[in-house]
Amino acid sequence: MSDTTQFRVLDFDCPTCASTVERALSNVDGVQHVEVHYATGRVEIEYDDSVTDPDAFAQTIENQGYTPQPA
Amino acid sequence: MNKQSITQYYRKHRKAIVTATSGLLYGGGWSLGYLTNFNTASAAILVLATIVGGYDIAKTAYHEVTNRTLGIKTLVTLAAIGAIVIGEYWEAAAVVFLFSLGSYLEGRTMRKTRTALQELLEMTPDTATVRRDGELREVPARKVEAGEVVVVKPGGKIPVDGTVVDGESAVNQAPVTGESAPVHKADGDEVYAGTVNQEGALEIRTTGAGSDTTLERIIRRVEEAQEAQSPTESLIDRFAKYYTPAVIVLAIGAYAVTQNAILSLTLLVIGCPGALVIGPPVSIVSAIGNAARSGVLMKGGEHLERAGKIDLVAFDKTGTLTKGETTVADVEGFGVADDEVLSLAATAEKKSEHHLADAIVDAAREGPTAATDGGTTVAQADDTDAGRRSVPDPNDFDVVAGKGVIAHADGQEVVVGNRALLADRDIDVPSRVADYVREREGRGETVVHVVRDGDIIGAIAMRDELREAAPGVVAALQDAGIETVMLTGDNERTAAAVAEEVGIDEYRAELLPEDKQSVIEGYQADGHVVAMVGDGINDAPSLATADVGIAMGAAGTDTAIETADMALMADDLERIPYAVKLSKATRWNVLENVGLAVLTVTVLLAGVLTSYVTLASGMLVHEASVLLVILNGMRLLRY
Repeated sequence: MSDTTQFRVLDFDCPTCASTVERALSNVDGVQHVEVHYATGRVEIEYDDSVTDPDAFAQTIENQGYTPQPA
Repeated sequence: MNKQSITQYYRKHRKAIVTATSGLLYGGGWSLGYLTNFNTASAAILVLATIVGGYDIAKTAYHEVTNRTLGIKTLVTLAAIGAIVIGEYWEAAAVVFLFSLGSYLEGRTMRKTRTALQELLEMTPDTATVRRDGELREVPARKVEAGEVVVVKPGGKIPVDGTVVDGESAVNQAPVTGESAPVHKADGDEVYAGTVNQEGALEIRTTGAGSDTTLERIIRRVEEAQEAQSPTESLIDRFAKYYTPAVIVLAIGAYAVTQNAILSLTLLVIGCPGALVIGPPVSIVSAIGNAARSGVLMKGGEHLERAGKIDLVAFDKTGTLTKGETTVADVEGFGVADDEVLSLAATAEKKSEHHLADAIVDAAREGPTAATDGGTTVAQADDTDAGRRSVPDPNDFDVVAGKGVIAHADGQEVVVGNRALLADRDIDVPSRVADYVREREGRGETVVHVVRDGDIIGAIAMRDELREAAPGVVAALQDAGIETVMLTGDNERTAAAVAEEVGIDEYRAELLPEDKQSVIEGYQADGHVVAMVGDGINDAPSLATADVGIAMGAAGTDTAIETADMALMADDLERIPYAVKLSKATRWNVLENVGLAVLTVTVLLAGVLTSYVTLASGMLVHEASVLLVILNGMRLLRY
């Protein structure tokens, strides 16, 4: 089933950083749609919950060097 | 401090610690180098400074490259590696340190912008006192079910959206509507989560809790608005996509031609599209956030940029410049008792939904002597309540749109309407009637004639009080160089009187709803950028036609928010000059930021080509320009 989750990343320090995280998240298996907004720091992910879960997204964001917070 | 808390502390402040360490190493390495004429030891320290400061940057650069989003960190990493390769250790360390410092400060300031809205959400209390099974219980506010009764003590924050079922109080609604004055709330009134109960205890029947409250809906809309790209932003974004690769190609080209490594590495550093891409979103997010906290919902950057160009504001009269509470000011019978005129007119108008009809019917119910005493509206359900008279139903009735009504009652034909309706039906207007009507209209009142079986038996003058703020608002707009126009369905003379009272530049009278739209189109054809202010429901078509549609009193109504480009949460006219000025300030702010960014790159480029600017100084100026642009944009948060 498709599900949606949100994170808040307050430490994006450049617009490209947000695009990079967006690309990285969309490469995670089971992710159907990602929106990362530099201006508000809001990350919205639509995913297949039989394949992946929000923990994987938090890990991906951390790997890119940013701090995900629950939205 | 135990080991775990040290790790936590380090994680939380990693950027600051890394930047500081790299800065100290850089300072130490440079001082040692200065004293020893840059010996091996100082070189080692400077390389260490580069590695400490550059590790995170290089890691992100790696992600940028693997995700094919070439960005600033890729450029900085290339420049630092290049500088080390050609033996310019202190330049490498300086570039990395200045970049870390810059992005640390950028992150910190952006965090402020990003959390500006969160403060609004924190207005809602976490728990609510609910009446369940006959006793009061403390439960999480999100767990309150619709229909449950919540008790809020004086001084407490209201945890849910709902309707007052018991108690009376003054509620500060600033978090939702931006109004600074508290609003009186009693039985049957709506209250919003996040507002503050100031005086008495209230019992509230919940209509929405958790994410289903007006405040949360507003905040979601504001975020959507902040995220929607303005035309300037998308233009710059498209440009930036090609910009970074182009800078890399340019740097390689420059090296091929000049064989000057420093020059081409410096090009990489100053070519970072920092200030240009960061400026516009910061300005717009700050402006939209500021507006939200003042009770103005801006739909997005695009609308904001358009609003910055407004040079004419059109106001709908009824309910916008006026309070929209029409009351009967005077009844005059011509050969018939005043009271008879009123009750006959009330019967004819009883089934009409026009606001003038409501005023006539209300006045008839109040009785001949009842003044509009502003009394409470308790128990009006029944026509036959003590002191109130009943108004009989007409046998039949027809509305003539924009003109009046024709009804039959007790075997009589009753016509209530304006001059146009009388002319349509060839009814003579005696001069004493015409004089009376002219005199009342000259005071800004709207007059209807009452005709029984073809003879005018009386006239009813009605008044819709101006909002106290209206003249000041019009004057403030005029001071800002903006033309003002009033649109109304009223006749010429009434419109002229109201226009003069408000001090508005121009008025258009006797307009049918669809005429308002064409009037706006007319102004647009003359080259004006037009804002239209209305209630957002009756005026929906003209709000949509205008370049910027502004809806008033939108807190409760989603339709108004849908149609409008800007929505004022409260019926607070004074927000309009503020919103227009904020839009103009935002437009300037975006231009300033773009200008500053372009100027910085141009000056730096000239500096590089004439060898005045090298890696470290280029990075310093670049980071300074980025910070300046962010700080400039953030001024709008406190506008």
